[in-house]
Amino acid sequence: MMLEEGYNLRLYVAGQTPKSIAAIANLKGICDQHLAGKYKIEIVDLMANPALAQRHQIVAIPTLIRQLPEPLKRIIGDLSNTEKVLVGLDIRPN
Amino acid sequence: MAEVVQSKVQPIEFEDAEQVIHAIHHGDVDAFVVMKGTDPQVVTLAGADEPYRVLVQRMNEGVLTVGSDGCIIFVNDRLSELTGFPTDDLIDRHVATLFGGDPPRLVPDASLEASLLRCDDSQLPVKVWTRPISIGDKSATLVTLTDLSVYRRAEQLAAAERFTRSILEQATNAIIVLAPDGSITHASLMAEDLAEQPPVGRAFSQAFPIEAYNTADTLLERFSPKELDHALATKPFHGVEIKFRSERLSNRVFLLSAGPLLDEKKLSVGSIVTLTEITERKHAEEQQATIASELNHRFKNMLSLVQSLAAQTVRSSETLENFNDAFSGRLQALASAHDLLTQTRPSGIGLSELVTNVLAPFRSRDERIKASGSQIALPADAVVLLAMALHELTTNAVKYGALSNASGHIDIAWRLVEQNGSQVELTWQESGGPTVKRRAAGFGTKLINHALRDLGAETEIRFDPQGLRCTVAFPLQRTSAP
Repeated sequence: MMLEEGYNLRLYVAGQTPKSIAAIANLKGICDQHLAGKYKIEIVDLMANPALAQRHQIVAIPTLIRQLPEPLKRIIGDLSNTEKVLVGLDIRPN
Repeated sequence: MAEVVQSKVQPIEFEDAEQVIHAIHHGDVDAFVVMKGTDPQVVTLAGADEPYRVLVQRMNEGVLTVGSDGCIIFVNDRLSELTGFPTDDLIDRHVATLFGGDPPRLVPDASLEASLLRCDDSQLPVKVWTRPISIGDKSATLVTLTDLSVYRRAEQLAAAERFTRSILEQATNAIIVLAPDGSITHASLMAEDLAEQPPVGRAFSQAFPIEAYNTADTLLERFSPKELDHALATKPFHGVEIKFRSERLSNRVFLLSAGPLLDEKKLSVGSIVTLTEITERKHAEEQQATIASELNHRFKNMLSLVQSLAAQTVRSSETLENFNDAFSGRLQALASAHDLLTQTRPSGIGLSELVTNVLAPFRSRDERIKASGSQIALPADAVVLLAMALHELTTNAVKYGALSNASGHIDIAWRLVEQNGSQVELTWQESGGPTVKRRAAGFGTKLINHALRDLGAETEIRFDPQGLRCTVAFPLQRTSAP
């Protein structure tokens, strides 16, 4: 799905570690609330395929990458701080 | 391909590095990508909750975490096993799609039953238990699913076991179930009665020491006890006549059969051995064989007797008419005796019955013939001989003795004497007939003497002037057949 004006997000997780699970739940909650109908989430399990970490130079997990709109943005952590996520994704001004 | 990937690599910025450090400091991450040689590798931080995570993964229950929107955030491996779906296919699905029919309402701490949909569209009965939890500042629900099919299967097995038990308890045959190694796993009540020792857990040969009933049957002889146990557990047996070695059951005969016990995949998991008692049947068969042999014996005796009667009667008859009268009478006596024999009863044939039967052709003179004596059962071979002797005595009385005029009488009396075993004493006394004159012994008299001698009897015939007197004493049990 291509979103012309939407958010293309990729969440890197490590299997089902607590932080990974929390990040998935938190991201879905934030997107549903603030980006309804305007986002696409791709979840990448690095536990299953560690090589995929190279593309975005992932060091710590979970890490959320905003691929679109550009520029690329990176938010590290379980995304439990909604305000920080909204600012990090430029949904809410700093 | 490697170059393309390389060109897309996004270098980590200083701000990002700072963010990583910040996240680590605040405990927002629990896994890292480290380089092992040239390959990246993921390492996780095992915290205090790690043992619980391991526990959850190894639980026998399916576990899932559901977000506030009802979508699945986490599942353990067991849930993948129960549903047949890989973990990735379950993440992000709405929890309601896991169940068939009406999805269960996830009421906190409530336990309810539901049908879990499997990837092959089959349904698995599960017990669902839920509890609200929080992940960070988000609310979620923890759900556990317990596979009830195991319990249902256990209940079905218990019911099948009770059903089997009731059959075994009520079966009139002895039924024994053997494991593949020949040890007994089940035994009916009848089987327990027959066993020398409590049967369950023992080898068949130990609990039921058996041997072939018929020594000509060598089937069982081919096996040692251990081999017999193995053979009964693995091979079919059909109707082998056996008896038990124990004295307690030595006079009983059984039919042994064995067939495979199959599981639901039609694989043999042992065998079912049945022991059907056929003592009565064998007894009846043996009795039938004895009767057949006895009849054959009598038939041959009868033919030779008729042959001898015919030859002797011809020699002593002056005319064909005389022959006809004498031979017909003798045949009639033989036929009467034979009639009695065909009514063979376990108690034997009564002497009184025999006398009545033989004298039946002379019934018009019945009031002149008195017969009395105690109840005595005659052996079969004595019946014909005694019948022939009585017939000849009666014929002589009609021709020359008490029944040859209008006023003569015959008294027949007998009794049982216990002397050198049981002896029968029979007296034939004629009176009121013409004055008796001693005659040369005709065939009739010879036949009386022959018949009674074959009976092992001591016979005395006296031609008293007032009437013929014949006394006969014979043993009830003789050592040889005529």
